[in-house]
Amino acid sequence: MDTSATPPQALGAGRGMSAWLDRHSSKVFILPAVIVILAFSIFPLIVSAYLSLTRFRLAPGGFELRWAGFRNFDRLLFGSEQYHFLGTFGAVGWFGWIVMLGGAGLIIWWLVRYWISGRARVLGTIGRLITATVGFGIVVLATVTLSEGGAFGSLMVTLFYVTVGCSIQFAIALGLALLCAKPIRGRAFFRVVFFMPLMVTPVGIAYMFRMLADMSKGPLEPIWSLFGFADVAWANDAWAARMVVVVGDSWQWIAFIFIVMLAALESQPRDQIEAAQLDGAGPWQVFRDVTWPTIVPVAATVMLIRVIEAFKIIDLPNVLTNGGPGIATESMTLHAFFAWRTQDLGGSAAIGYMLLFVAVVICVSFFNLVVQRQKARFT
Amino acid sequence: MQVTLDKLSKSFGPVQVLHDLSMVVEEGEFLVLLGPSGCGKTTALRMIAGLEEVTSGRVHIGDRDVTDILPKYRDAAMVFQSYALYPHKTVAENIGYPLKLRKVPPPARDKTVREVAAQVQLEDYLTRYPRELSGGQRQRVALARAIIRRPAVFLMDEPLSNLDAKLRVHMRSELKHMQNTLGTTTIYVTHDQVEAMTLAHRVAILNHGRLMQFDRPKTIYRDPANLFVASFIGSPPMNMVDGTLTSGAFTGPGFAHSLGKDLSIGPAVIGFRPEDCSVVAAGNGLIPAEIYSNELIGDHTLVTCELHDGSAAPHTVTVKMDKDFEAEMGTEIGIAIDPAHLYFFDQGTGDRIRV
Amino acid sequence: MTAATPNQPKGLYAKLFEPKRLGIMAPGTSVLVYAGLLFWTIVVLFPLYWLLVTSFKLPIDVNEGPRYLPFVDYEPSLHAWDYLLVEVGGDTFRPYVNSVIIAAISTVLAVLAGSMAAYALARITYKPRFASILSFVVGIVAMIVLTVVAGVPWWLSLIVGLAIFALLARTVARRFSARLGNGDILFWMISQRILPPVIVAVPVYVMFQRIGLLDTHVAMIITYATVNLPIVVWLMHDFFLSIPRDLDESAEMDGATKFQIFFDIVLPLAKPGIAATSLLVLVLAWNEYLLALFLSSVDAQTMPLLVAAQNATRGPQWWSMSVLILLMIIPVVLIALALQRFIAKGLLVGAVKG
Repeated sequence: MDTSATPPQALGAGRGMSAWLDRHSSKVFILPAVIVILAFSIFPLIVSAYLSLTRFRLAPGGFELRWAGFRNFDRLLFGSEQYHFLGTFGAVGWFGWIVMLGGAGLIIWWLVRYWISGRARVLGTIGRLITATVGFGIVVLATVTLSEGGAFGSLMVTLFYVTVGCSIQFAIALGLALLCAKPIRGRAFFRVVFFMPLMVTPVGIAYMFRMLADMSKGPLEPIWSLFGFADVAWANDAWAARMVVVVGDSWQWIAFIFIVMLAALESQPRDQIEAAQLDGAGPWQVFRDVTWPTIVPVAATVMLIRVIEAFKIIDLPNVLTNGGPGIATESMTLHAFFAWRTQDLGGSAAIGYMLLFVAVVICVSFFNLVVQRQKARFT
Repeated sequence: MQVTLDKLSKSFGPVQVLHDLSMVVEEGEFLVLLGPSGCGKTTALRMIAGLEEVTSGRVHIGDRDVTDILPKYRDAAMVFQSYALYPHKTVAENIGYPLKLRKVPPPARDKTVREVAAQVQLEDYLTRYPRELSGGQRQRVALARAIIRRPAVFLMDEPLSNLDAKLRVHMRSELKHMQNTLGTTTIYVTHDQVEAMTLAHRVAILNHGRLMQFDRPKTIYRDPANLFVASFIGSPPMNMVDGTLTSGAFTGPGFAHSLGKDLSIGPAVIGFRPEDCSVVAAGNGLIPAEIYSNELIGDHTLVTCELHDGSAAPHTVTVKMDKDFEAEMGTEIGIAIDPAHLYFFDQGTGDRIRV
Repeated sequence: MTAATPNQPKGLYAKLFEPKRLGIMAPGTSVLVYAGLLFWTIVVLFPLYWLLVTSFKLPIDVNEGPRYLPFVDYEPSLHAWDYLLVEVGGDTFRPYVNSVIIAAISTVLAVLAGSMAAYALARITYKPRFASILSFVVGIVAMIVLTVVAGVPWWLSLIVGLAIFALLARTVARRFSARLGNGDILFWMISQRILPPVIVAVPVYVMFQRIGLLDTHVAMIITYATVNLPIVVWLMHDFFLSIPRDLDESAEMDGATKFQIFFDIVLPLAKPGIAATSLLVLVLAWNEYLLALFLSSVDAQTMPLLVAAQNATRGPQWWSMSVLILLMIIPVVLIALALQRFIAKGLLVGAVKG
């Protein structure tokens, strides 16, 4: 046989394992992910839904689950656990009424503007109504728990961590990224250093900040003494304790936002900036008119990721304050964890579901109303 | 306004990309900086704009030394190769942005934007976004954004290179007309010699960061200063044949040409443009050769002829002949050249030898 | 009308904050910028420095007020390091190895399965029937009801559940034509990240308990791989979209199977994305606390649990904690340094286009 032109074996319809795999590749590629997500997300979701409707009780030789209907939710929203979940309602003063009415007005104005814009659709309307309802609920809840004699429950504490924490983190991270995008020496060094907190385990951060925040034996003691705060115990003050948690959380997550925002700043087209500079724009104008519009889509996406993760906060309040003073720093995840520890499985699942509901409404609203819109402008 | 470059140099680390560039661009002049990629022309333009630091030398716009002031105080407008339009602003906002920065009140701004948009035929697109425009329209937005400022100088960095061939020809004439109407000093960077020849009042040819020749397009074509300019300008380019120039005669492969002037240079190059020579029967003409290939272009035929210089790779010259010219490949022929259109260059330095 | 270009301003403010040319900073700006950078460097490094010095402190050095400088303020001692690494070395070593194994394998699995799914969603058009998905959910519900309520062994109810799904999918579901698209699948996968772990934890705990995998590496690996999968799909999907389809098609013309295309052509091109995603997932798995708390007790205990355990009955053992936290930080920081140049680029593609 002529050896010169041996054609490679025909690659047509083969047999055996690899050929079978290739023919079914479209399923093989996606099935592992689908199966594990189904098994570990959908399955627990359904079990949790069932658990949240039952009461768990240890019984001889095991346990029993007794059907409880919506009693677990009822307890959280209206019953004995209301103070714990929604918070203690104070007496709403005239200022509180103004805030609530103002909030309602703003939300209605936002809805009306959508309806008269001519772009209104059925699905969009339903989505916006849900967003508006939850939004108004939060405004009312914030007002009554902040009023005289009121106190936060775990829902408001979580929202506090999410909103205040994420805002602080974004502001500082963007500032740092802008500093690092300047023509500085040692950018590589600063980039690595600023990224480092992301590597530390949140439990470790919590203990670290407990050491640092120790007013009498911590490293900042001279500073506290100087200002006469040496005897103040932040752990006994609700707001101070919450702020310590936010500081610890921020210390870690600024790193993440920073690195993404810096990458966004570094990848924006140089021509546009130079054109603006030639046309007479100063640094602030370049930022406002050129840089910011370019990085907004990235900012929106990274903040969506951050907000999703922020809803799950548990390690920091658990270690730093153990939820205290009282329940002042208890996030919803921690609340659910405590419930689980006291074998209130139904209550725990109910809190988890409430958290899921709030997180989904807020994240999906944020995604549809902010992220998508920002991206649409660039495609 | 006049733009004066005084011994402008630029180094990126150890690499010097621009060597002592000095030139005076007259008021109202359309100057084209021409050269192959990497010759330093864009760097020079960016230095005039103030986007690139000057390593040494000075830049003057009018009678003002602008070397050490920020771009925004230089009163120069630039059109970028990528157009650098702001994707999130409408056409009107893009065009009006320089005025907004100068705090021109909105009514006056709108009026000016409309006027300028009319000048570049963009009136109907003012509310669109750049992504909704074609390449030519985007290009015009970039132009309008430069025009609206009435700057002292226009700087243009290959503004037509992202357009397709047909549109480029169209925009070229519009650009020329517009510059003529406005009478604004313009410095235009390109690597396209046709653009340079058609647009410029004067062309500055750069190579490896050095100014090769600075003159009117016609002069540059007819009277190139050196080997580089001669071979860079012209399409197809000037034919070059190596040889030696001793005692008043140039000797090349299979031919000799007497200059009628006693010159002894040594290794030299003889150059002639394709349109200045013709194919004649074997034994006639100056240079003996054979037909390598011929291509009918349309109104003329390009005949590639191979010289008998004994080298392995075919050494060819191009001759522009009438559209009816026909010849078998491999036919022995001669190439006749008008002696008035022969150019001689020093092979070592590349300098023109004037005879 | 047009407005004139302003002249260069003079005065103190311009002198301090107006640079001579682009690409450099004016003196005033420079001072502010470096002050800001230095401040944040201190904010980041000081806590880590405090960990380091605390790890060399004796209890008395911690309890008697702040002591800053080893050798100057106090005599450094290796007691905590010695105690954790030598005296009870095994008790430190075991969780450490657990953490390494669990984080590494779960990361590999998550990145692999996630990238495959992301690639498939970026290249292949899927049109699952809505009704088929509903029948699947019905199957799962049936299985849960059988196991939890009726007390049927889990494997039996699994079979029944699958049978119900197959039956419904083959019969009833075929009559409905509503289909989902790739975008829906992608959104569904990504949205799983919103699930609070606390919802997942209890059922997963029960599940692993039933099949006897509680407190094992396998359980932890599968759980971590799953919770991190959405992040991988999210970030990698857009990375794959940014790789030209021509390359796949060219390889396909040359006779490569889909798997060869994926592993030989696409994955190497997606290296920056893989690197950044892997690092993020690795860090999340390495540092995870809540699920570990539920799913492991002794055999599969991970480092974050050991750190938390130092808050013992004797009060927090600060020195031991510091040692353990440092031990946890070192490897991830080294990996992060190695992958440094990929991180920004890899995260950005996902974020910009996601």
